[in-house]
Amino acid sequence: MNVLTSRWLPHTIFALAAFATPLVFSGNRYFAFIVGITLLSVLWATGMNLLYGYTGLMPLMFAGIAGISAYVTIGLSAAGWSFWLAMLVGSIAASLVGIVLGLPSLRLRGFYFTLCSLVIQSVITLAFVYFVNLTNGDVGISHIPLPELPGGGQLTGTSYELVLAALTVIGVVVLTLLVESGFGHRLIAIREDDGLAETLGINVTRQRLAAFFIASLFASIGGALYAPYVGFVSPRSFDVLVSLNIWLMVAFGGRGTIWGPVVGAVILAPLPFLLQDYYMIKDVVYGLLIIGVIVLLPAGIVGGWKRKAAAGEPAPDVAQKTAPAR
Amino acid sequence: MTLLDAKLVSMRFGGVVALSDVNVHQEAGETLGVIGPNGSGKTTLVNVITGHLTPQNGAVLFDGAPLLGRKPFQIAAAGLTRTYQSVRVFSELTTRENIATALLDAPRPLPSDGVAETAEWLGLTPRFDARAGSLTLYEQRRLEILMRLVQQPKLLMLDEPVGGLSSAEVRATINLLSELKARCTIFVIEHTMKVIRELADRVIVLVAGEKIADGPPAEILSDQRVIEKYLGSVDA
Repeated sequence: MNVLTSRWLPHTIFALAAFATPLVFSGNRYFAFIVGITLLSVLWATGMNLLYGYTGLMPLMFAGIAGISAYVTIGLSAAGWSFWLAMLVGSIAASLVGIVLGLPSLRLRGFYFTLCSLVIQSVITLAFVYFVNLTNGDVGISHIPLPELPGGGQLTGTSYELVLAALTVIGVVVLTLLVESGFGHRLIAIREDDGLAETLGINVTRQRLAAFFIASLFASIGGALYAPYVGFVSPRSFDVLVSLNIWLMVAFGGRGTIWGPVVGAVILAPLPFLLQDYYMIKDVVYGLLIIGVIVLLPAGIVGGWKRKAAAGEPAPDVAQKTAPAR
Repeated sequence: MTLLDAKLVSMRFGGVVALSDVNVHQEAGETLGVIGPNGSGKTTLVNVITGHLTPQNGAVLFDGAPLLGRKPFQIAAAGLTRTYQSVRVFSELTTRENIATALLDAPRPLPSDGVAETAEWLGLTPRFDARAGSLTLYEQRRLEILMRLVQQPKLLMLDEPVGGLSSAEVRATINLLSELKARCTIFVIEHTMKVIRELADRVIVLVAGEKIADGPPAEILSDQRVIEKYLGSVDA
């Protein structure tokens, strides 16, 4: 199949952009760092989209799960483990915790689940502060060593950003494959009407918990890579504001679309850096954005655009004769 | 062959008795109608049998296997499915996507030519690419039935299948359902006596959670007790 007509064309363009941008900014560490954080944000937003966009649950403990993975990975690395093995174990451990934290979703819907996840996030943050010997409490952990490379040396600079780019591209491709699979269709059915989905034979519990595991993997892998990349973590690095930021990227770009959260992250992740000189109004800008999205773009940028495109189509009665079989 | 056998089913919500020692028995191929005033426990009975509610007492056998304690998705997999009193489809998805969703976890999915034939029979083929929420109520009712039929159920429980339809649509639905009897066994709750009279082989009457009558429609609908307690002078 020709790449230009393939359904993977957007992914190809995204991959090229993801790998080219760190190279373009390799001369300026500050800009390169913004690119790296943006790539991580795309990975996180893509993971949250599986839950918020496709399963219909707003998980505000997302950053907490990333934090658990980060602390476990740091701890195991400090104990002499290879970073990569520590990241694997940390991510899987945090994702299993993610399943447990997803259990309330079996009973709670919509706003009530969101509220519950907010409480869970607060408890995780308190735990990060409380278990000082594991997390160094509010002081945080600094001078986190960079991941080692197999041939000797460390993952640093532009090569770190390229690894982040690779994982982000893999994340977007994985989400696309999941969403187009039977698993994705089951999640959409659960999002639309979980009772009806169950009546049609779908094991709602199992699918929901699987979604939590996979979304938590996105959070955890991002969290494990975040810590050495930034070099410093504290409970603040994984608090509810971080969860809300990721949520805003998903909602702003368009939940339930592959590219919406990517667009949202690319626009919103660099914003705090660009607004650094206006430190005082940064939070105000964020607050206004949240309100603006809810009022003006309930389906997000990409979602709103898709809705407009659908509204421009001829009425179904006209379309039915010419509509191609999908 | 006995398909459904519910024995001494009792369901209470706090102090309210919704079902009290109800026995329901249905043979394969037999169309069973359920009538009764609002709040008499008809939908509760369906909810208990399909695993949405757990009764305090009783036993339900379907196709020889006990159902109580099994989850709705497991009961669906066993070949027992239901529709809802207020129409329920995935309204944001297209008709085609609704059908595809019904096929996802069906243990005996209808092959695609069978799906096409059934959709054609129900008159939904022209609406395949329309959003289900944009269909008329009558189309949504037929889509609900199509989504069950692609799973080739052994027993289909319909909860007021003509609720909200015009009299012409009721007529057409009765014709569809009488043809449907050849495809699977039907259990139907209805307030519209025309549906019961024309379709049911046997009728049970629930009043305040108790079964007060059970027999052929002609006999039941002229039973003095049923007329007093439920029908009154009104024949809808």
